[in-house]
Amino acid sequence: MMTQRADELSDEQLMTRLTGPEVEAALSKLYDRYSRTVFGVGLKILGDRSLAEELVQDVFLKVWRSSGTFDSSRGSFSTWLYRVTRSVALDLYRKRAHRVRPVPDGDPYLATAQDSSAGPQEVVDESWLSWRVSRALEVLDASHKEVIHLAYFEGLSQREISERTGVPLGTVKSRTASAFKSLRRELALGDTLREANR
Amino acid sequence: MKCAEIHPNLAAFALGGLEPEEAAEVRRHLASCPGCQKELEEIETVRHSLEAAPPPAAPPVYLKDEILSHVRAEGLSRIREESKESSSSVERGSSAAPGFNRFKNLRIILPSVAAAAVVGIVALGITFGFMREDAPVATIQLVPTPDEAAGLKGYWGVAEIRPQPSGNQQVELKLNNFEEPKPNSYYELWFVSGERRISAGSFTSVGQGETKVLLNVPPEARNYHTLLITEEHMDNDTAPSQEVALKGEMP
Repeated sequence: MMTQRADELSDEQLMTRLTGPEVEAALSKLYDRYSRTVFGVGLKILGDRSLAEELVQDVFLKVWRSSGTFDSSRGSFSTWLYRVTRSVALDLYRKRAHRVRPVPDGDPYLATAQDSSAGPQEVVDESWLSWRVSRALEVLDASHKEVIHLAYFEGLSQREISERTGVPLGTVKSRTASAFKSLRRELALGDTLREANR
Repeated sequence: MKCAEIHPNLAAFALGGLEPEEAAEVRRHLASCPGCQKELEEIETVRHSLEAAPPPAAPPVYLKDEILSHVRAEGLSRIREESKESSSSVERGSSAAPGFNRFKNLRIILPSVAAAAVVGIVALGITFGFMREDAPVATIQLVPTPDEAAGLKGYWGVAEIRPQPSGNQQVELKLNNFEEPKPNSYYELWFVSGERRISAGSFTSVGQGETKVLLNVPPEARNYHTLLITEEHMDNDTAPSQEVALKGEMP
């Protein structure tokens, strides 16, 4: 058991625990916080679920093995993790050419995958915005996340969301407005592309 | 309508989520309100950013356990390396590559002949939660060869097979009063089918008492129904040893 609950620790504090006896709890918490982003960005870059899974495995093992190279004074954990993800994804992207799998009919996740005609560096560079948007969505509270998911990803109207969730229409509208404010704030924060490319 | 009434609707408007009459009202207001136009522009920037969002998908649930298993295995491997350095033993074969290898890191090769060190490592395996509680799908009796049996007292041994979500098979060896390997030797578990073999990894035994070892084999091993434990020597010969110590057949 961790001396301090993993939930209460910042990403940077969890990183310092990856070399000690609390390694599993610390890595597990970082995985909970970031695996969806790594996987989602991986799907977007690689367009292949199996490779995206490989990416998640490689990235989190690299986080553990390379935790000593992380320096919080040079940037946030999120930016460092993005760089690790980008590097691993580039390697896997190159492998993809040799083992592309057919996209299953109607797979909604792969429908958004990048056009493979773009070069690897080009595709990976575009991933910084994907990463930041994913992180901004991940840190929304549950009710805000729900309205954005239903309104943007499922394309429901405010009235349909109200009917689907049982939440009054006025509340749905105010949650949508608040969620956009939170997203705007989150997207304005954080490290710049220059820092991400460093 | 006043700005205060329009503002809460702007995000929904940008998403196209308002009813037609509400949207028409917002449009009428926007036509004559620079403040709300600017607000809408900022909201549109956020909406545009959402187009870059990755698909809302999560990795499979078993992936986390696999990663943590690797961390445990590598942790043990590092302890093993330290143990090896301290005992100045010579290990046969290649060292673990830094990259991800599904099976390499799960091999537990303990070349030390120091029983105490092995006991320590096995105990650490237990501490790390290595020993699973879920029921095996197959339990295989491991029978000593006649030569081997002559020197064993109170021996029993089993291999318990547990399929993993990834398709791999986890093998938990439990050997009681099985002898230690000779100096500069270790045991290796093989899945055998005719002339073909797949190694599940290597280990040593504590001798007196119970040895527990956790190993892993790839999915192809499902079709290999014979288990052999051979005694391997730390030399440059990479071919499997013919010195079979224990044998078992899938039920």
